[in-house]
Amino acid sequence: MHLLSVSDLVVRFRTHDGTVHAVNGVSFDLDEGETLGLVGESGCGKSVTNLAVMRLLPRPAGHIERGSAVFEGQDLFEIDESAMRDIRGKDIAMIFQDPMTSLNPVLRIEEQMVETIRAHRKVSTKDARERAIELLGMVGIPQPEKRLRDYPHQFSGGMRQRVMIAMALALEPKLLIADEPTTALDVTIQAQVLELLSRLAAERNTAVILITHDLGVVAGMTRRVNVMYAGFVVETAATSDLFARPLHPYTIGLLHSMPRLDAEEGEPLVPIEGVPPDLRQAPVGCPFAPRCAWAIDRCWADMPALGAMDGVVAIETTGANPTHRVACWNVPTPDEARLAHPDRPGFHAAPAPTVAEIAR
Amino acid sequence: MTATAATLAATPRTSRGLWGDALRRLMRNGPALVGLFFIAVFVMGAILAPILSPYDPTVGKLADGYQSPSLAHLMGTDQQGRDEFTRVLYGARISLSVGVVAVLFGLIGGTIVGSIAGGAGGKLDGLLMRFVDVMLAVPGLLLAIVLVSWLGHGELQIMLAVGISYSPMFARLLRGSLLALRESDYVIAARSMGASPVRILVRHMMPNALTPLIVQATLFAATAIIDVAGLGFLGLGPGDPRIAEWGEMLTDASSYLQNYPYLIFFPGAAIVISAIGFNLLGDGLREALDPRLKR
Amino acid sequence: MARFIVRRVIAAVPVLLGLSVLLFIFVRLLPGGPASAILGQHATPQRIADVNEALGLTRPLYVQYFEYIGRLLHGDFGSSYVDGTKVVDVFLLRFPSTIELTMGALFFAIGLGIPLGRIAARHSNGLIDGIVTVISLFGISIPVFVLGYTLAFFFGVQLHWLPTFGLADPTLGVPAVTNFPIIDGALASLQGGTTAPFVDAIAHVILPSIALGSIPLAVVTRITRAAVIEVSNEDYVRTARAKGLTEKRVDNRHIMRNAWLPVTTVIGLEAGALLAGAVLTETVFNINGVGSWVVDSIRNHDYVVVQSLVLIFAVIFMVVNLIVDIGYAFLNPRIRYS
Ligand SMILES: Nc1ncnc2c1ncn2[C@@H]1O[C@H](COP(=O)(O)OP(=O)(O)OP(=O)(O)O)[C@@H](O)[C@H]1O
Ligand SMILES: [Mg+2]
Repeated sequence: MHLLSVSDLVVRFRTHDGTVHAVNGVSFDLDEGETLGLVGESGCGKSVTNLAVMRLLPRPAGHIERGSAVFEGQDLFEIDESAMRDIRGKDIAMIFQDPMTSLNPVLRIEEQMVETIRAHRKVSTKDARERAIELLGMVGIPQPEKRLRDYPHQFSGGMRQRVMIAMALALEPKLLIADEPTTALDVTIQAQVLELLSRLAAERNTAVILITHDLGVVAGMTRRVNVMYAGFVVETAATSDLFARPLHPYTIGLLHSMPRLDAEEGEPLVPIEGVPPDLRQAPVGCPFAPRCAWAIDRCWADMPALGAMDGVVAIETTGANPTHRVACWNVPTPDEARLAHPDRPGFHAAPAPTVAEIAR
Repeated sequence: MTATAATLAATPRTSRGLWGDALRRLMRNGPALVGLFFIAVFVMGAILAPILSPYDPTVGKLADGYQSPSLAHLMGTDQQGRDEFTRVLYGARISLSVGVVAVLFGLIGGTIVGSIAGGAGGKLDGLLMRFVDVMLAVPGLLLAIVLVSWLGHGELQIMLAVGISYSPMFARLLRGSLLALRESDYVIAARSMGASPVRILVRHMMPNALTPLIVQATLFAATAIIDVAGLGFLGLGPGDPRIAEWGEMLTDASSYLQNYPYLIFFPGAAIVISAIGFNLLGDGLREALDPRLKR
Repeated sequence: MARFIVRRVIAAVPVLLGLSVLLFIFVRLLPGGPASAILGQHATPQRIADVNEALGLTRPLYVQYFEYIGRLLHGDFGSSYVDGTKVVDVFLLRFPSTIELTMGALFFAIGLGIPLGRIAARHSNGLIDGIVTVISLFGISIPVFVLGYTLAFFFGVQLHWLPTFGLADPTLGVPAVTNFPIIDGALASLQGGTTAPFVDAIAHVILPSIALGSIPLAVVTRITRAAVIEVSNEDYVRTARAKGLTEKRVDNRHIMRNAWLPVTTVIGLEAGALLAGAVLTETVFNINGVGSWVVDSIRNHDYVVVQSLVLIFAVIFMVVNLIVDIGYAFLNPRIRYS
């Protein structure tokens, strides 16, 4: 049994100017102690996916349309609010992007840590305080006893994120969701915080979902990656497989749009043309088709399911050797992946169908 | 670079779009339209008072006194036999005109002081703002009360007193927006292109600083109607027996609260409804001019 | 913190000096001068000259001003031209009533406004929110005296539930110890072994407090609603929920604790409205406080009293704002620790 099993998750937002189709049928599994990276352009639904799992979608706009998230055998979408509250912070903890705004500015660090511990454990304030000091020491905050009495604004950004990590790990959660934990930090601090995060998680065998824009971070920190686009998981693979042999045209574009140290000679650095689709339209066909050089007619009509390449019989969703799967009708060849454009005589990306064609 | 600076500097001037948009949003704002309707009713009532009512607002027959509302006297008659409905209509003339003109006085005074302070900065700014502080140190209506007692009775005096008591708030508001705008990108861009300080102030900064001022002025119109009535109520009104004023009507009626409560009710309701009108309109304007506030 | 207070007090000095100059000029520039204000419009020039001489008004203006300031610094706020009573004496007699009234109004505004604002925010854009919005719209649109008379009519004249005259029933013969009607009533109750004086004092303050508190109520409700909605969308509230805290704790500790900041600021701004509104409220309910005294003095052309009272009101206003700012700093560690 997997630690977490999300299947066919659909999340929508009702807003003044229409329904936003933020997540459109995301499925993935996660085992104990596993590290999963989640990458994709801004607005592709990474945060929303995880907030849905925590049942913390912004109310009243956001709601879970369908799907399930089975954590340790129970569907998080079925249990009542107080049971969910017991899981939040204790079994599943979360770290957010901006440590400047994620801590309450008017409460002491002490209160914010103690209340977390005491929300889940029947311990005295004094014991909770001891534990908080221990945790602050663990994340490398000097003079933890003294700093406990401070307010968030008295810490630097990196230190605050350390406090967030200490708070998240206070109850030894089985799953830690880190939503771009270092995006708001100085480059020099980023590495320290990431190192701390992965070390502590590894020591405790905590599973981690790491959301990031930074492919370098994914390469260094995760065993497996989900690539998301417009609310879909378009490719999933072991991290090393993904880098070695990207299958989805979007992943290829992503890899080529960022400078990498391990890039092979002659690999061009090209941005992905075009803009992500407007999520207020219900998805028809592959959402990447308008930007895709490999698009064929079928891409405009049907969204392919996430599937293995030909010849694979048993699909492994987790573990040491997860199956490399992609959602694409016209998977680029390895050579094309290196070139970042189709290399077939006479091939042109299929244009968007006309209104008349759609009507037919 | 120059091209960007030019477009940046030009943005605030394409304000017809902004105002057009704001007007369209205002027209779709239900509460604001209700407010506009209330105001329109009182304006029409004030203008058409002689047509709407056959009675004289200031002379009545004592024999007709204390009549309850009836078909002949929609709102009854007061202690002197004057028709209450007529007096409420004529009272709207005073309240609306005095209130609105008072706010205009305050707006003009505040704009002069605020734009000099916010435009010039430095010592002059400091001096003017200390003066504003002194005026703001006297809380609310008290300043107007003292000013009226000093200026004497009369409509113009009330307009001046209430206007002066509002002007420091307008001045502070305008100066605040001007200071913020001074640091904004497009003003810096305009300055870097060599536009003269006066031109920057008048063409670039004022149009943008005006929006909060207009909203505040509309909301102050509500306060002014209440304050003008308050002065009348305290015996500091126009003090002219030939004109009907809502606040003075209330003072007169307060002695008869026990037996003739409608004498309090009708002028009171007139004040409340007209104030609600301006408050709704002001809130609507604020939302229309700053769409981000839309809830 | 002490530095913060000292700085604020020092900043208040030029403002008060400026105001004293204005008020000084105000009295000098009265039509006909103070003498004709005392003697009336039909006084003979000879009598006016005599009075001016007696009041020391013939000496150079700056001498008079410095004397005036000197007296103020010694706590001498002058005496009434009309009945010769000392301003300070009468002030001490009347001020407790005004404090009681404004405190009552403040309690009403905060005690009701914060829960209303919270409910409205929770059900934002729903029916309850709409009702609360309408209530607060009425609150800011209804003048103190209209609401005062309406309340007096319904709860006093019609229902006979609550008294509408003064802050205590003089027939109970409660001895004036502190001049605070409620405290004196409580003392009398303790001594006399009957609750009547205390209950009477409480009953008297209810309607005036509601009338005076309606505007602050509306403002506090609006700002609480807005603040709660805004704070609810902050990242740290999401963090608090993600930690598994109960909704109650998230509300009380994480949301309200922050929402209090703008609410506190607004309460400070409303202090002025309360002080000025006391003038009207005391007139409506025949309360012998400082507010009705201002009105009486203006009617009697008792300009020394008016001059001193305006100055005193300004000082009170500043003190209240200082207290509010201290409270704000106390609530906001970013200010407290800087
Ligand atoms: N409160 C909301 N109301 C309406 N739409 C929302 C809301 N929150 C998120 N969305 C929409 O859901 C989509 C997914 O957002 P999400 O925050 O998951 O993106 P993301 O992948 O985390 O992006 P980023 O990298 O910028 O954090 C976005 O297109 C966004 O417009
Ligand atoms: Mg995100």
